[in-house]
Amino acid sequence: MNFVEHAPTLILGLPLLFAFLIPLLGRISKDMRDILFLMGLLLTGLFVGIMAYEVLTVGGWTYVFGASTSEPTNPITSYFRITFVADGFSVLATLTIALVALGAGLFSFDYMAGHAALDKFYSLFLLTLAGVNGMVLTGDLFNLFVWFEVTSIASCGLIAFTNYRGKSVEAALKYMILSVLGGLFLLISIGLLYGQYGVVNYKLLSDGIAGSPGLFVNKLALGILLLVFGMKASTVPMHMWAPDAYSESPGPATPLIAITSLGSLFVLFRLTFGVYGVNMGPGVIGTILIILGVLSMFIGVSMALVQSDLKRLIAYLSVSQVGYMTMAVGVALTTWTAEGINGYGIMAMEGGLFHMINDGVYKALLFLAAIAVIHATGKRDLNELGGLAHKMPYTTVFFLLGALSIAGIPPLSGFSSKLLIYQSVYLYHPILAIIALVVSIVTLAVICKAFFNAFLGPDQGQTKGEVPKGMLIAMGLLTVVLIIFTLFPHYVVAEIVVPAIRALGVIP
Amino acid sequence: MFILVVLIITGITYLIYKMGNPAYKRTRFKGQPFISGNAPFKDPGRMHVGGDNLFWGFTNALKRYFDPLVKGHTGIVNDYVYWFIVTMAVILMYIYVTL
Repeated sequence: MNFVEHAPTLILGLPLLFAFLIPLLGRISKDMRDILFLMGLLLTGLFVGIMAYEVLTVGGWTYVFGASTSEPTNPITSYFRITFVADGFSVLATLTIALVALGAGLFSFDYMAGHAALDKFYSLFLLTLAGVNGMVLTGDLFNLFVWFEVTSIASCGLIAFTNYRGKSVEAALKYMILSVLGGLFLLISIGLLYGQYGVVNYKLLSDGIAGSPGLFVNKLALGILLLVFGMKASTVPMHMWAPDAYSESPGPATPLIAITSLGSLFVLFRLTFGVYGVNMGPGVIGTILIILGVLSMFIGVSMALVQSDLKRLIAYLSVSQVGYMTMAVGVALTTWTAEGINGYGIMAMEGGLFHMINDGVYKALLFLAAIAVIHATGKRDLNELGGLAHKMPYTTVFFLLGALSIAGIPPLSGFSSKLLIYQSVYLYHPILAIIALVVSIVTLAVICKAFFNAFLGPDQGQTKGEVPKGMLIAMGLLTVVLIIFTLFPHYVVAEIVVPAIRALGVIP
Repeated sequence: MFILVVLIITGITYLIYKMGNPAYKRTRFKGQPFISGNAPFKDPGRMHVGGDNLFWGFTNALKRYFDPLVKGHTGIVNDYVYWFIVTMAVILMYIYVTL
């Protein structure tokens, strides 16, 4: 068996397999349950690495279930079989997801220790991981819908996991209602496109749309797709589910729920570039993304400023960061024509996509550090916290690094990606750069508030000491990745981000 | 004569003392004739500004911006669906008109 060729399907097949094995074998031994969960995470990460190496050194490929050829030339292969795309963009997306899942998974061993129904937690965790990997790897719309549903159902279970807390169940209910609504509209848009073109494969749909871009059905499906994945990515004004879901989900599940939002943003960009492409008004799509991005940046950070719940504060910052990526990619789309994309458009793409992998890592670190604080003190209200740096020095450093990175403070990696965004959007329109800078300044104020209130000041005896070592190791892992991104941003852009842009067909 | 005066004053003082509250405990203000003036500083090592106080001036000055924003985030799922539908209408109209 050629593992390299089968890597795209193993990336989602293995967590799926372990998700179903854990509740069965977990009844025999708790150690076996933990080992299976760890194996699920590590093997997924391993195959992401294998796929990344192959794509970046040899080239990408399309994986078709049960077909002898990977190219969609055979009608049966193209029309009915399940396809997965292994290219630079998939590498960027799955790498981001794998890093966050590994960090959150390692964190959960100590955090969830002693919790009842742990096999169900691990199972839901791996199902969510499989679902979001499926969303970003799939090469056809119907399977996108299937993985969208898998992600939504598993995430909903994770959010409601601590069902003895009323707020968790309520947050899950809200998430479920919006996910069902989004899923239904997604299905409607797939039906519209399938009815018109008779295909659901991205490549064949793209060819069909390029042949008749002016059709009303194209516009309707486009609007719905932008809406559904904009909502899942928590762009303003469809972001309101995110602070509820992020703040009420059990600790280690929070970064994973956040990464499903980022996964939706990856899908949104794949669809706008890969399916609708240059023939279907990229300027109009770009303008919509810029508006959603600016709203998300400004309203997200404004709401973060008035929060006193630590997790909710980071959740609103997360909404704000999604705005940066959406705006940057929107600017790139507006400059895209049949002749190609201009210089600052490429820079905006680089900034936007680099910010996505950056954001995945530092946001997960920030969430985990906040969860460590809540775990150690039992408190999440900033009015009640204080002086934790005395007893929790490692968590303090992890939180500070994540916080400075999200605020775009040099030399951390958040600064590198934001600088690319500032420069490129300035060339598009200076007002966008000014908004981005103001939002960064307010973000700094927000993280100063969180850091000052939780960690500085006199020791108030709220905790006896640091969180367990397993949780520190998980945060340490993400910190190492953050430091690598900080030290070698040019390498990350050249080796991971540029191939992703190339895979979207923006540059040759 | 002098000794007699001292004895009388001591006796009166004793009688006044006996009329006092036997449950009296000495604190900062009790027993002091003047209670105004600067309060002594708290130990700086024990002071900490709470979360809601840190940017109170900023958010209060921009009350007209922040109040509707916070009120808009009601936590009611009907509003979440409302915004979803409103955004859909706006996006579809924009695409229909411009594309």
